[in-house]
Amino acid sequence: MFTEGYAHDTQITYSGMLWLLAAQLVVMAPLVFFLPIWLLPVLIFSAGWRMRVMQGHREQPSKTLKTIIALLGLVALSASGMKVVSLDMMASLLMLGFAYKALEVIQKRDAMVVILTGFLLIGVLFLYSQSILIALYGIFALSILTGALIAIQQSKSYAILPNLKLSSFMLLLCLPLMLMFFIFSPRFAPLWAVPLSGGHAKTGISDSMTPGDIANLSQSDELAFTVTFKGEKPKQNELYWRGLVMQNFDGKTWTQFDEKLSHSAIKKRLRINESALRNKLVKKGYGRAYEVIYEKTARPWLFALAPVVNIEGEAIYASDFTLMSRVELFEPKMLTLTSYPEALREVDLPEETRELALQLPASDNNGNPKSHALAKRLFSNSSSKQDYINKVMNRFSQQVYYYTLRPKALGDTNTIDEFLINNKKGFCAHYAGSFVFMMRAAGIPARVVTGYQGGKWNQQGKFLSVHQYDAHAWTEVWLENKGWVRYDPTSMVAPSRIEKNLEQAVDAEGSFLENQLFSMAKYSWLNSIKNKMDSAQYAWRRFVIGYDRNSQSELLKRLFGELTLQKIAMIVGGFFIGIIAFWVLLLGLGKRRIHEAEEHQLYRRFCKRLEKLGVKREPSQTPKAFSLFASAQLPRLATEINAFSQLYSDVCYKPSTQSQLQESIRDLKNLLKKVNKS
Amino acid sequence: MANATSNGWLNWMGNRFPESKQITLGLRRIFVIPTKASLALLVTLAVLFLMAINFQNSLIYALAFWLLALIVITIFFTYRNLSNITIRAIQSDACFAGEKAVFELEVSCPENQKKSAISLGWKHQDLAVINLQNHHSVHIKLSHGTKTRGRFKPERLNIFTTYPIGLVVAWSYAVLDMESIVYPEPILQESSKDGQGMNDEAIKGHEIARGSTDFSGIREYQAGDSPKHIHWSTYAKTGKAYTKTFVDYANQDIWLDWDALSLTGIEVKLSHLSAKVLQYHQEQQVYGLKIPGKTIQPATGEAHKTICLTALALYGLD
Repeated sequence: MFTEGYAHDTQITYSGMLWLLAAQLVVMAPLVFFLPIWLLPVLIFSAGWRMRVMQGHREQPSKTLKTIIALLGLVALSASGMKVVSLDMMASLLMLGFAYKALEVIQKRDAMVVILTGFLLIGVLFLYSQSILIALYGIFALSILTGALIAIQQSKSYAILPNLKLSSFMLLLCLPLMLMFFIFSPRFAPLWAVPLSGGHAKTGISDSMTPGDIANLSQSDELAFTVTFKGEKPKQNELYWRGLVMQNFDGKTWTQFDEKLSHSAIKKRLRINESALRNKLVKKGYGRAYEVIYEKTARPWLFALAPVVNIEGEAIYASDFTLMSRVELFEPKMLTLTSYPEALREVDLPEETRELALQLPASDNNGNPKSHALAKRLFSNSSSKQDYINKVMNRFSQQVYYYTLRPKALGDTNTIDEFLINNKKGFCAHYAGSFVFMMRAAGIPARVVTGYQGGKWNQQGKFLSVHQYDAHAWTEVWLENKGWVRYDPTSMVAPSRIEKNLEQAVDAEGSFLENQLFSMAKYSWLNSIKNKMDSAQYAWRRFVIGYDRNSQSELLKRLFGELTLQKIAMIVGGFFIGIIAFWVLLLGLGKRRIHEAEEHQLYRRFCKRLEKLGVKREPSQTPKAFSLFASAQLPRLATEINAFSQLYSDVCYKPSTQSQLQESIRDLKNLLKKVNKS
Repeated sequence: MANATSNGWLNWMGNRFPESKQITLGLRRIFVIPTKASLALLVTLAVLFLMAINFQNSLIYALAFWLLALIVITIFFTYRNLSNITIRAIQSDACFAGEKAVFELEVSCPENQKKSAISLGWKHQDLAVINLQNHHSVHIKLSHGTKTRGRFKPERLNIFTTYPIGLVVAWSYAVLDMESIVYPEPILQESSKDGQGMNDEAIKGHEIARGSTDFSGIREYQAGDSPKHIHWSTYAKTGKAYTKTFVDYANQDIWLDWDALSLTGIEVKLSHLSAKVLQYHQEQQVYGLKIPGKTIQPATGEAHKTICLTALALYGLD
């Protein structure tokens, strides 16, 4: 490359080294919240050693020592219990190398490697979190890294502030170009499925339901997803966000299938194309279009009002009228959906689905004989299936059932009997599970559905945020000519859960978010602040994090109308030229500098001044002739005029004065000052 | 073919960078090219883009685009750091072949501007790194190795900078009108008999009769003697005219004579003479130099030494 072969100083300055260490600390600090915490002390140790070497207190670490430390780090990593092929592991390795590099950075080239790795680690940080705060921190880390880049280019040590100023200035100037790239550059679908899922704790609804699960989830005030409706917002008690359909019951736990399947196997089994799905529907009522931004869960489940008939974005239809994401949600995901909540689903029930919807656990330990007997008795007293369903539903409100977030453990056998007949205190999962049991016991196809119910309406931002504590379980019963019909036994026990929200439903018990001491959702007086923060978060999620192919084409269409390739090229080209022109102006690169030697500039100013005093120099006059003429006209300035002219001719024509040019220029300036003052 | 293109390139460069005493770096003279660091950054960017695409992560997109924009804006910042610098040739010192010729330059920057980490130098030679601020000027001395005697014109001076962030290098050439005289490398040929002989001769000295410098005695007047030299006091005593006699000594009048050397080879002779000049100058002798086409009358002192060495340096070249 160009700079090779020169007697460069490849060492970095002391301040460059300090910058580098500071940048490393800044980059690593937030990552230790997601990765093994001992990585930070490793960096501090290496940085401390480096500092002592630079101050001359210590020897350069030997090769063996470095090897030992590196091995120790690897051993510690393998002992940390992370999967070998996982994002956590990759990120930790990167961090470890990054920290060790502090032991041996001396050359500019090494410093460059450290800084580039730092950029990469900011990217890794964004994989773990995309919140506004983390984004702001990322910008801060970026400017520190850029400051370190500047510091290692410097040939002498400078103060901290000018470097930081320069780096921030550069990044600020980059902003318009960055935004242009961000908005206009094409977005691609994932190139391959990413196996690096270790870094993400699974949250939200799981693929099985044991009574108690959802109660635990209800202790979380984390956001699950946010929704904006294109039209009117449906009524609160219609907001059933379907996620998973649980068909299989083993006596204790509800699952989708009778075997444990991986996410991809589940997708394979449930996937259905759009036309097949439409064939299973009888459209009724009107469509509701809405936009959902799902928070990351590390699971593929998506939640929607059933049944969805149109998807904009990456998602697949499942045969049980749910939606799934092609890849697990490691990042927030945005979809625009259209649902027909009143459509009839599967009026013609396939035989295998019917079988699944009638399955009950084998009767040795889990026969739940009391419940069976109850079902038999009620069914024989009913005039129709519908009558039976109503009887079972009403039983929940007529008898003394309690809706509680602190349900008693039900033991391992005959759990339905235990809840339905004896205990009668439970959460939505208990009610849904026992209701489906009662249906199946009477030969009526039924299934449990899990998802979320309700949500919190933000009037300011006109959006609905659904939190983990909105998690819910309800049921669907198949009826002739009606298909699958939703029944929510919880609504019989605790109507306020469905009409309002969980907080109201357990108000008397005081168990809402009882394990969360500092949740803002608990304190109503914080609501307006929380609302504002939610709005900001929502805007951030929707317009920044959720900016993908769909929102890109939508935005561009709204801004520039129908787009052709030519039009885009012209717009982008125009922006680019505009930005470059702005830079050139701002950096003063466009100014034409006068390439006139300074002595000539001074002489012109001298002549101008004399002209003001009434003595004009003819172009034909030599400086000497003009000097004689002018000093005769202005005798009080004669000495200055003569001295100035003499010095000027000397500077111009006597090569010997070249070496004292600076002094001569200074003298000329002083003389000119005197002339100007007169 | 390759030769033709490289000649074309040199011609073009020559036209673009005419020789002068002073140059100011401007748009026409400055080139900006990427460095290895920016290639490494591009690789980093590729990794970031892969992450952004596969994880559908908007913030990583933003980060990657920001770094991309940083590469673009660096071009302008680096260019700005080099532009409007003025370089003026001040003086160049002579040296002996094989030593380093030293050139003094003045580098200055305009008002209200700041230039950092500007490198000036020749490839595989001396390099100076300077910082300038607000109309400051600095004098730097750059040395360049020499091989042969004669007039030495250093190749184009490279001025470059990677400041502020090292992703691109802005560079320019300055063809400054400066040259240094390179004297022949002083190598004394001890085995040279003639040189030795001449040396002995010089030490023994030859009286050149009828000189005019030193008084040596008086003799009888002969026709043609200058009346100034008549010893008047003897004439007054004896009535006979005597003339004062003077001599000039050749041992104070050493001639370094090209033709008297029995050495073979022009460069060997020049090197020997160069060594001799240094020796006599050291000994504060009066010496003259005769080389084909040039004769320098005996004298002494720094200026004389320079004249002699310059004559040797330029022998056969002008």
